[in-house]
Amino acid sequence: MAVNMGKETYAHIQEQLNRADLSAMPGLSLSVLRNIMIEPIEPYLRYHAYLMGYNARVSFGEYDNIFQEAAGGDDRLLNRQTDCVLVFAYLDTLSPDLARGFSALNPDQVAAEVNRVQDFAEAVIRGIRAQTKGLILWNGLETPGHPNLGIWDSQIDTGQTAVIHRLNDFIRDRLRLEANACFVDMNLALIRIGAGNFYDRRYWHIGRAPYTREALAEIADEDFKFIRPLKGKNKKCLVLDCDNTLWGGIIGEDGLSGIVLGKTYPGSAYSEFQREIVNLYHRGIIIALCSKNNEPDVWEVFRKHPDMILKEEHISAARINWNDKAANLRGLASDLNIGLDSMVFLDDSEFEINLVKKELPEVAAILMPKGKAVEYRQMLAACGLFDTLTISEEDKHRGAMYKAEASRKSLLTQATDMEGYYRSLEMVVVIRLADEFSIPRIAQQTQKTNQFNLTTRRYTEADIQGFVNHPDYDVIYLDLKDRFGGSGIVGTCILKYEQDRAIIDTFLLSCRVLGRGVEEAFLSRALKRAKGRGCRTTVGEYLPTAKNGQVAEFYPKHGFTEVNPGKSAGHRVFHFDLQMEPGSEPAYFKEIISDL
Amino acid sequence: MKDRVLKIVSQVLNVPVELLNEESSPDTVASWDSLKHMNLILALEEEFGIQFRDEQIVEILKVGLIIEAVKEFTAA
Repeated sequence: MAVNMGKETYAHIQEQLNRADLSAMPGLSLSVLRNIMIEPIEPYLRYHAYLMGYNARVSFGEYDNIFQEAAGGDDRLLNRQTDCVLVFAYLDTLSPDLARGFSALNPDQVAAEVNRVQDFAEAVIRGIRAQTKGLILWNGLETPGHPNLGIWDSQIDTGQTAVIHRLNDFIRDRLRLEANACFVDMNLALIRIGAGNFYDRRYWHIGRAPYTREALAEIADEDFKFIRPLKGKNKKCLVLDCDNTLWGGIIGEDGLSGIVLGKTYPGSAYSEFQREIVNLYHRGIIIALCSKNNEPDVWEVFRKHPDMILKEEHISAARINWNDKAANLRGLASDLNIGLDSMVFLDDSEFEINLVKKELPEVAAILMPKGKAVEYRQMLAACGLFDTLTISEEDKHRGAMYKAEASRKSLLTQATDMEGYYRSLEMVVVIRLADEFSIPRIAQQTQKTNQFNLTTRRYTEADIQGFVNHPDYDVIYLDLKDRFGGSGIVGTCILKYEQDRAIIDTFLLSCRVLGRGVEEAFLSRALKRAKGRGCRTTVGEYLPTAKNGQVAEFYPKHGFTEVNPGKSAGHRVFHFDLQMEPGSEPAYFKEIISDL
Repeated sequence: MKDRVLKIVSQVLNVPVELLNEESSPDTVASWDSLKHMNLILALEEEFGIQFRDEQIVEILKVGLIIEAVKEFTAA
């Protein structure tokens, strides 16, 4: 990881690899196709793998043989065991005309070269994929610091830089068509260390090796941002200390108006840092707090300080107390139901960082250097530990889901009995007849619910609309909220009336609300509805599927009697006599709102 | 300074330092090939904060020559 590697010299990295017992670690098979000499990157690649817990074997293809090797033949280079293929197609070798002689080309010649390079990329990507399913990492073309056309290059969209951008776009788009293939923007590594530190012109001429040691380190860093998530080794949770990390000063001593946080120096350094944390939150990273403080003091900052960019809603879990931080990190991992090895912990105290490193070596513990708050944002942005291969819409909501789960769980550990726990959730159940707003979600529930579903009948929106309009049907939904947030529509019941009987056509609940007695309240209200419509009997059915075994005994458990028990192994039918009191409702709901 | 050079050579070529002396070269150390020579140059430049001239890179194929080349930069 970049944060640790900064201090390691090239010789020391090789020394550590010479000494380490790598044989016990799982293997990581990396293959390098290239048209430059890039062997000196090997220690960096192997060292990154070593920090990740892997023993990397790096196989280099022959110099300038990318096309031939992608076409096949050498199964030692590309095979089923290959985890990742790194492609370095350097423009100076690939097309000396585009790279070094651009001014001399006429538009037709440029177009011909562009086509040739695109055909090359197409054939190489297709050829690699035919030989391995491993991750393809194509390290793209760098843009020149001194384009062949000079300042004119930036004025036109046919210049050297524009052409290189178009080639990169083509390769990126082509890779997107493949599963498990990514484009690595080499310009990021180039920008970070600057062209003056990136190219070694001596070794370019001596041995076709264009990159400096610093460039190789930066390129390996960038490539491993992709390889870590490939192996599930990316970090998922950021745990933050508060005093002198999120703000300057100590809230317990300096008070709300005394801490350093704001739009201008020096508080602006902390604001910028918080903004970067919020960026991670929106990428699906879980944010948690681990701080030695009086808990109300910390929440007062979150609620009342006008310059807090990080808000309470971003925090999925918190341990704010005087216990040791290793114990608190263990507690957070358990609250959030994630592994310690997916956590990154930031603190300005060397004592805390060392404690965590010693007690919990699987946590990435990073010291935020005292007196260098201006560097905090950059440190976090550069650490590269949180990268995932994609960012989805769902990732953006992950923090809220974990927050609700962690809150319920931490309440559960405090509660002495389940009923007390349910009561403390302050659940509000809404049971209503379907309307035009709820129909889409109800149809979706019949399509997607597999486990708590008595009949597993799948319906479209039009079907549900038909039932709603039909006088002999009732479509009832259940909506659940608790003190940690709303779950939305989580239950559906469809009743069909035939003379004096009500047949429960559909009865289902979403898995995430099971175990809270919601099903009892829902069934009881449905039975009351049937009775209210003048029915004497309710008929329940159980249609077994591969997934709904957990509800096989649902009706008998709630006072129904089976018709012809044991007669058929599959479809079972149950009756409930509506002269009887329809089962009791749990008393621990805060409120049941119903218009039935 | 000689010891620092020997240590780097030992680490990069993965050879015990006791087996190295000023006469060690690609002829006497099996792992010292042209690729490892590149790693060696990169490690030495980092260790001493120097940049060899391009013609030096291809000439210093003996520990004794490396030490002299490093001296040239560190003496000034």
